Amino acid sequence: MPRLFPPLLLLAGIAVAAMLLAVAVGSVSIPVAGLWAVVQGDGDQLHRTVVLELRVPRVLAAFATGGLLAVAGALMQVLLRNPLADPYVLGLSGGAAVGALSAMLLGLGAVMVPGSAFAGALVSTVLVFGIAHGTGSWTPTRLLLTGVVVAAGWGAVVTFMLVIGPTERIPGMLYWLMGDLAYARSPWPAMFVLALACLLIMPLGRSLNVLARGPLQAATLGVAVRPLEWSVYVAASVLTAAAVTTAGAIGFVGLIVPHMLRLLIGSDQRLILPASALAGGTLLVLADTLARTLIAPEQLPVGVITALLGVPTFLYLLYRSR
Amino acid sequence: MQGRCAAGLLVCLLGLVSPAVLSGESGPCVVDDAERRVCLQAPARRIVSLSPGATELLFAAGAGEWIEGTVRYSDYPAAAKRIPRVGTHSRFDIEKLLALSPDLVVAWISGNPAEQVERLQALGMTVYYSEPRRFEDVSSTLERLGLLAGTTDVARTAIAEFNAAIDELEARYRDADPVPIFYQIWDDPLMTVNDSHLISQAIELCGGRNVFGAADRLVPRLDRESVLAAAPEAIVAGGMGEDDTGWLEAWERFPGFTAVRRGNLFFVPPSYIQRPTPRVAEGSRILCEHLETARGRR
Repeated sequence: MPRLFPPLLLLAGIAVAAMLLAVAVGSVSIPVAGLWAVVQGDGDQLHRTVVLELRVPRVLAAFATGGLLAVAGALMQVLLRNPLADPYVLGLSGGAAVGALSAMLLGLGAVMVPGSAFAGALVSTVLVFGIAHGTGSWTPTRLLLTGVVVAAGWGAVVTFMLVIGPTERIPGMLYWLMGDLAYARSPWPAMFVLALACLLIMPLGRSLNVLARGPLQAATLGVAVRPLEWSVYVAASVLTAAAVTTAGAIGFVGLIVPHMLRLLIGSDQRLILPASALAGGTLLVLADTLARTLIAPEQLPVGVITALLGVPTFLYLLYRSR
Repeated sequence: MQGRCAAGLLVCLLGLVSPAVLSGESGPCVVDDAERRVCLQAPARRIVSLSPGATELLFAAGAGEWIEGTVRYSDYPAAAKRIPRVGTHSRFDIEKLLALSPDLVVAWISGNPAEQVERLQALGMTVYYSEPRRFEDVSSTLERLGLLAGTTDVARTAIAEFNAAIDELEARYRDADPVPIFYQIWDDPLMTVNDSHLISQAIELCGGRNVFGAADRLVPRLDRESVLAAAPEAIVAGGMGEDDTGWLEAWERFPGFTAVRRGNLFFVPPSYIQRPTPRVAEGSRILCEHLETARGRR
């Protein structure tokens, strides 16, 4: 167990550094002395508002969202035993998108968007669960196929909504679909879910290691495969729903972060899961910092940056690994 | 907001009832297009405008020199081009906006993202929500912005000029023969407007009839076939720029179509008629002349 700690400590260090960097940079340039004054509880009024009311909540929300997506992706990859699995592969982001865009179309206001996104995500989860369960035998392949087809269905509904939506609402809807931390109202729900997930899932690491080798082996080794698989499914869904509810459908974090970590530190789930939380959070914090400063004052959707940062890094790691 | 209104509470309450515009002891107080009371301690001197249309309206109301920040495409009048930008109307940089410490933010109800404008209010900024949809709204917005900036005299002169221009067109074309027209605001997908839109009001003013006026949606999307079927006598279009007539040329491949046969393909610079600002009077005048040309080709 102690050998697990050095990589996690390193990742935690990088995460803290990334968050400090993200709090320090932005359109309003604040000197280090100004930041220090804010930390000590005084300083310029503008600096205080910018740091305490804009940057810190946004950075925390970015970290929590990235962590949630990466852990959910790692869980999905174990559950489906498919390297292409990501948190959205089973149609959850589609359900959430239909919920969020409906709220925007009906003009319900920003307060209702997260709630309907969460409801949409849960509907999609229950739908996929129910259909994949069906009457026959249950397999990861069947779950995956059900999820992919349900996702395609949601995709069609989203396209339909974009076409019938009033022209002036389209930009807002596109930002939501690409993911954007400007939607994050408060970081605490996402932070709470992430912390809870880490506490609940960590003890399962050993069983997940066995499950990753295949259900037969796992059963032989005394793991209750079916309950474990369903718990993983429910956990991954709740994590993704919390992430999507916070900041829209941010792509790519859930797919590449677990893979990057496997290439770097091996595939022990006891290590991969907490490492995913830290690395996913760090990636999104950095991506969001770029999204809001790269072409400031214009703002990019963070999903663009996660892909632009993630693709080359991931391809390089893949290329290097034989 | 209520707190700032407290001294002029009675005035603010009255504002809800009948005239939208009133002035209180503690500073100007108006009711915005979201039916909210907007009250200032003193006339606005650090304004941020979150749409090109609001920027134009502020300039027309005499408050242009106090605009400290605006969004992309704020290009009229020329002085607007020099105002620092805080992003685009669909996503702006709240940090940058905050650094300008505005005493008034003019937001655009249907164009700005609700979550960002709500964040501005949560940060304690005074937000005026603007959504002019008719000629009358242009005048009343000028009046209210003039009041908030303490430039009522300039605003009232602008209102008088605007109303006079509209009244003149109204008088001239009141009894003109109706011309069925198709107004194209976008190409690919083809888009028009229904009768709730300001452009349709301009068409009516000129004695035209919007062939898609009864459509359900404010900005319906169409195929070319439905336009051919509606058989307008004239097609009027904007373009990607102030002198881009490319959209009209696309209609020339239907030479048998009445509007094409008579050469009634007309261009109106989009910013003159697609923005609800005093310039819409000039845009309407151009549109009216085109329709008069179309009547002459019958």
